Amino acid sequence: MLELSELQHDALVEIFNIGVGQAARAMSEIVSEEVTMSVPSIRFLNRADAAAMLGHTDGQRVCGVSQHYEGAFTTEAILMFPEDKSLDIVRLMVGEAVPFTELSEMEQEAMSEIGNIILNSCVGTLANLFEHELRGSLPLYHLGSSEDILSATGGQADTVVLMLHIDFILETHQIHGYVAFILDLSALDDLQAQVDRFLAKIEGRG
Amino acid sequence: MDAVATIHPGMLDSVFGVIDLGAVVLDHQRRVVLWNHWMSRHSGHEAGMVVGRDFFAVFPELRGKRLDNAVLQALRDNFPAVLSQTLHKAPIPLFANHAARTSGVRIQQAVAVTPLAVTGAARHCLIQVSDVSAAVHRERLLRDQALELRSQTFSDGLTGIANRRHFDLAMEKEQRRAKRSAIALTMLMIDIDFFKAYNDHYGHQQGDDTLIRVAGALAAMLQRPQDLIARYGGEEFVVILPDMDSASGARVAESLRQRIAQLAIPHAGAPGGHGSQRITVSIGVATQAPHQPVEVAALIGAADRALYTAKRHGRNQVVIENP
Repeated sequence: MLELSELQHDALVEIFNIGVGQAARAMSEIVSEEVTMSVPSIRFLNRADAAAMLGHTDGQRVCGVSQHYEGAFTTEAILMFPEDKSLDIVRLMVGEAVPFTELSEMEQEAMSEIGNIILNSCVGTLANLFEHELRGSLPLYHLGSSEDILSATGGQADTVVLMLHIDFILETHQIHGYVAFILDLSALDDLQAQVDRFLAKIEGRG
Repeated sequence: MDAVATIHPGMLDSVFGVIDLGAVVLDHQRRVVLWNHWMSRHSGHEAGMVVGRDFFAVFPELRGKRLDNAVLQALRDNFPAVLSQTLHKAPIPLFANHAARTSGVRIQQAVAVTPLAVTGAARHCLIQVSDVSAAVHRERLLRDQALELRSQTFSDGLTGIANRRHFDLAMEKEQRRAKRSAIALTMLMIDIDFFKAYNDHYGHQQGDDTLIRVAGALAAMLQRPQDLIARYGGEEFVVILPDMDSASGARVAESLRQRIAQLAIPHAGAPGGHGSQRITVSIGVATQAPHQPVEVAALIGAADRALYTAKRHGRNQVVIENP
């Protein structure tokens, strides 16, 4: 598994925090209330470990929104929340009580839009880092076990998952979620090289 | 012979014209390049009037909004975006028909913005607008019914106050809160005196009417929003008074007892001399002291014993017993 130096880790965390910061501003405008998002940490995991980490609470279902991106590198990006947290998020964003135990069709669309905003922002900052454009697909909504969602959205076994912890704060509620980037090994090497290039540029500037 | 299916010139234009959703193509400067018939019909703008114009000049109210940003992202970053009806209601002024336009009722919309690669030109984008009004209406009905059902599951069908199930959940919650915050919790167990005799004398229909009046009078006496009265069963009621000590609880109980006596509902079936043959109640009071949490069952048990003491000692009175 890829080991990041502390410096590389911190650089990526900073990059993703810029991304989710933009997403939070976009969402604040939609709901006219302050939305705050941050990425406290990131990790590289293999797919089985990633699934195990997401499914840790008694195999609870996970709600996911995925988008496929390709260009400078290919990745499947997935925003994931435990199912009950996805209800909280939509309820907080929409500002009305949700009397159903599952997201309704219209609420699933709202969740897809939230995922679309967050994923585009995160991938956008990555694309800036690579100084290369990526093409994105429209978001897809998933509900199922963490294994189902991670395997429904990628093919080969020799992939790694770059897992971002995301803290989402709205109206004094704090909700933890994840963004997973499923990357193949060549994309991973590229990523590490680009992070080094980014660090060198910062040091050169400083 | 010509068996191969072919796309005739102009066929895509015809398809574009008849599809049942709004489709607009913008060029890199956000100028309208294509505008299908659906858009003409629902926006009131014919294609001839809008093609070549900045889309956001056609709909100035969309400037600076999420759709503006979505178009920017599609054209600049090559990323698609969706706008859900739930988070945006009806962003574009589109109307089902003339009557809706007059009354200002917009089509409920789901919007997707997709980047379009165009050979020999800078990137364009496609805006697709779907009418989700029917789905929105269906969900509103479902939601209303779910709320109605939920309120039914937690309220007593006859008296309209909370039911036993609501009480069980609320009691559990308040007991935990009292324990965590180290505050007192008082509960009252209330029973209408000689109610079986009342039903026997006046019939069940009038018995029900009296239950409704008593429940209403008791509920109206509770001042604080956190207080809860529930029908516990038959002619028995229960009151939860969070953050209230035994003495205050006893005062509330006494005012409830007096209030019911003041209703002066005749009770000819009561034994002679009892409460001048009016409807009265007996009340048991039990309090969980701060820092001395007990089980919910123990608190209910204490209130129940106090109620029976009140009954044994002649009814129409308040008795305190602590767990």
